[in-house]
Amino acid sequence: MQEAKRYDVVVVGAGNGGLSAAAYLAKAGKKVLVLEKHNLPGGCATSFVRGAFEFEATLHEMCQMGRGVDGEPRGAVRELLDGYGLDVDWVPVPEAFCAVATDPEKGFNVEMPLGVEAFIDEMERQVPGSREPMTNVMEMARMLADGVAWLGERHNHPNPLQKVEMLIKYHDLMKLVPQSVETVLDLLGMPEKAKNIYESYWTYISSHSGNMSFAVYAFMTYVYLTQKPWIARNRSHEIGLAFDKRIRELGGDIWYNCEVKKIDVKDGAVRGVELAGGKYIPCERVISNLMPHVVFDRMVDPAEVPEYNRRCMNAQKIAQACVTVYIGLDATAQELGLKGYDTFMREDPNNRNQYASSNAIETHKDITVTVLTNAIPDAVGEGRACMQFSKFYIDDPFADVTEEEYFRIKDKIARECIERYEAVTGCDLQSHIEEIVVASPVTWARYLGTPRGDVYGYEPHTWDGMFPRVQSGTADLGYTIKGLRFAGGHGTQMDGYSQAYMSGAEQARYTLHDMKEGK
Amino acid sequence: MKYNYDKKLLKSLGVGAFLGQVKLREKKIAEAPDTMPQSVFNANVLAKKLHPGAQYAVITAVADHGDAKSFTLAPDAEKGTEQLAYFRAGQYVSVALDIGEAKLNKPYTIRSCPKLALNGGYILTIKRSAGGFASDYILDNWQVGTKVKLSGPLGEFYHQELRDAKHVVALAGGSGITPFCSMAAAIADGTEDFRLTILYGSRTKDAILLGEELSAIEAAAGGKVKVVHVLSDEEAEGCEKGFITAELVQKYAGEGDYSVYVCGPKPMYAFLKQELGKLGLKSRRIRWEVGGEYGDPSKDAAYPADAAGKTFALTVIIRGEEFKTTCRADQTLLDACERAGIRAPSHCRSGECGWCHSRLVSGEIYVPAEGDGRRIADKKFGWVHPCRTYPLGDVTLEVPVL
Repeated sequence: MQEAKRYDVVVVGAGNGGLSAAAYLAKAGKKVLVLEKHNLPGGCATSFVRGAFEFEATLHEMCQMGRGVDGEPRGAVRELLDGYGLDVDWVPVPEAFCAVATDPEKGFNVEMPLGVEAFIDEMERQVPGSREPMTNVMEMARMLADGVAWLGERHNHPNPLQKVEMLIKYHDLMKLVPQSVETVLDLLGMPEKAKNIYESYWTYISSHSGNMSFAVYAFMTYVYLTQKPWIARNRSHEIGLAFDKRIRELGGDIWYNCEVKKIDVKDGAVRGVELAGGKYIPCERVISNLMPHVVFDRMVDPAEVPEYNRRCMNAQKIAQACVTVYIGLDATAQELGLKGYDTFMREDPNNRNQYASSNAIETHKDITVTVLTNAIPDAVGEGRACMQFSKFYIDDPFADVTEEEYFRIKDKIARECIERYEAVTGCDLQSHIEEIVVASPVTWARYLGTPRGDVYGYEPHTWDGMFPRVQSGTADLGYTIKGLRFAGGHGTQMDGYSQAYMSGAEQARYTLHDMKEGK
Repeated sequence: MKYNYDKKLLKSLGVGAFLGQVKLREKKIAEAPDTMPQSVFNANVLAKKLHPGAQYAVITAVADHGDAKSFTLAPDAEKGTEQLAYFRAGQYVSVALDIGEAKLNKPYTIRSCPKLALNGGYILTIKRSAGGFASDYILDNWQVGTKVKLSGPLGEFYHQELRDAKHVVALAGGSGITPFCSMAAAIADGTEDFRLTILYGSRTKDAILLGEELSAIEAAAGGKVKVVHVLSDEEAEGCEKGFITAELVQKYAGEGDYSVYVCGPKPMYAFLKQELGKLGLKSRRIRWEVGGEYGDPSKDAAYPADAAGKTFALTVIIRGEEFKTTCRADQTLLDACERAGIRAPSHCRSGECGWCHSRLVSGEIYVPAEGDGRRIADKKFGWVHPCRTYPLGDVTLEVPVL
């Protein structure tokens, strides 16, 4: 009988984090097996076809993707993905974002351009008096971007000597990291309306600006403005398949329709994984693309779950779940008057209020609108357009939904999104809908398996944001089971495609280190 | 200074918080309760209930309609299925079959209404089709007590109130009536809210499948469901004579906006494509249920002349292991796998659902334009839907068998 291949590392889950980890390890010469319970790679990064339309499932925009040419800085994520050798046709998005708040007194309707100068100018035009504080924000962000790059070159863990250097060079970064967006903008004297507009991106980070680190938010916004937001021309399924191809070329194996039921842990160390159907694959190292909640509650012997992880999961908050309405239209964006690529369409301009009202189906009135055909005009063929509405929910608004009500509730939310968009923009969507699909937290729970259909891992807080997580995620803290590491949007780098790719690389690097040290 | 922000603004802040971040995080974690947190919520429970990977059922009743039979399926609790999944009227399940050496899956519409799933189960009405490998087997073998394995409910052929008109003119032929039976029953019991006019083509009055069942639903639906029989081979009172034509659709559609849904055998689709073209409807107002098997592709204009009639080697890779078989030029890669005893994943068998998504390792293939449901990146990276893929030479295919 043929002896089973012995794998150095088994990656559980072919989502963005898992694929990145697998590519990194395969490139480093390790024997890798990726196990995915669905029949496709990508996790959230996927697409689906309905009639004439291929809909993007989740990707709004990727950050840190600058090419490093024409005055556009080179982004760390572009560097990473190019380093893997991925064959993806990347396309830049034409604007920063559009933001609407319909509140009659404090509302606004703005289209914010790319480029730092242009952004500051437009903000000043919208909110006279914002130039000075906004310039301060952008200059701080420039410093932060340099600091993040400096740290990245040192794998985010400077040695003692470098720490001294950091204290001198990036003193202010250290000051700004633990402060919330709200605190710093107030300190800078930012007018309320400019604050509201500037904070528009918050739903993509899953925490309101009272909980969000200024350093992280300012960095991200600055990178979008200077490096542009990017998407994949052929939907994010292109990224997943590009990874699949490269991992195989680098000697890795990927098995689809292959669900891992159990991660076999004994005496604090990984021994193997067990598949649905009973097949056992011995291995000493696993990188889990699945959330700790899922792994520890469903896949590891309860006696082997470390106290630290139980407490850690209880300390963290499960992040948002999502409703997404995908719409295929039988006219072009221009014919329909659809403006902008990404529009944050809200009622209340203040994001603390937006956050608070997003905990129930009845109270959550805000939508994020993405018009794919405004970034890629020929994405769905001639004479057609496609767009999507996303709503991110905190807590558990689907807690009481029954199966009999389910389809109706989804359609009701979709109708609200459509009618609201029509009311605000004056566009007619309803006479042009050729295809419509509504995904709910149930859909995400189905495909991702996450608690409540969470799409963003754990909500960041100033105590548990990217910096504290990255700093904690070294060899010891949080590494409680020998051979088990976690990569993905729930990881140290936080949520989003770019962050998940970074997380995969980070955990692969740690795993290589573990292997070398025998830890 | 290199960065032009006002440094004074940050004077009130220190670096202590940064230096103490890891300690603070550890403290927060240490203070949290030492209990296993919940990972399964209602959304997770609903996901399992509405989209089970597999459902196990047992046949509790069989009704004979001549060349068709209706099978009542109840959940098989012994195998772990407590309830068959709720669905949208018009959806189908795919049924796992073992016929001789062959292992395959076939899609059948759930003919009963969604409510019945919650307190009973499903009814499938299956018609014997000419040369129907699976339908012959089912009609000859399934009986009360037979255990069957089903997929969860699938398919996009249902009424979507945001997309479709409030009035639907359904065009059905033969067993293509089944989704409309489900929709009509769902309208009658208040699950769905739209008006349904069914133009139902049969050869003769006696050949009408589920005629009595439809009459009963029509009577119970309070005027929201209307059934018109269209007989090709005989005149009968209260029935239309001939085929379903554009004129007939217009006659029963009446005034106002309407959607057309079509479900029936292949020749009917070809005929209706022509007929519906005359109505000048927007494409969003016409919905076709997927057509099933494509059949011999050699008559397609785009089909390369030299491949017809040949048989090629097919190598199938499953989790790193290789299996050898053959595939005829007029056979899909899926069919060849199934006949070789490989249960390749599949549901719709029409190129649409993507469940058979597999990696073409090497070889030339032919994919008919109709029913090519591949994504753009699939084409770029060489992934195929084997249920709609024919070999043009020797092929190696990696199949994600469950």
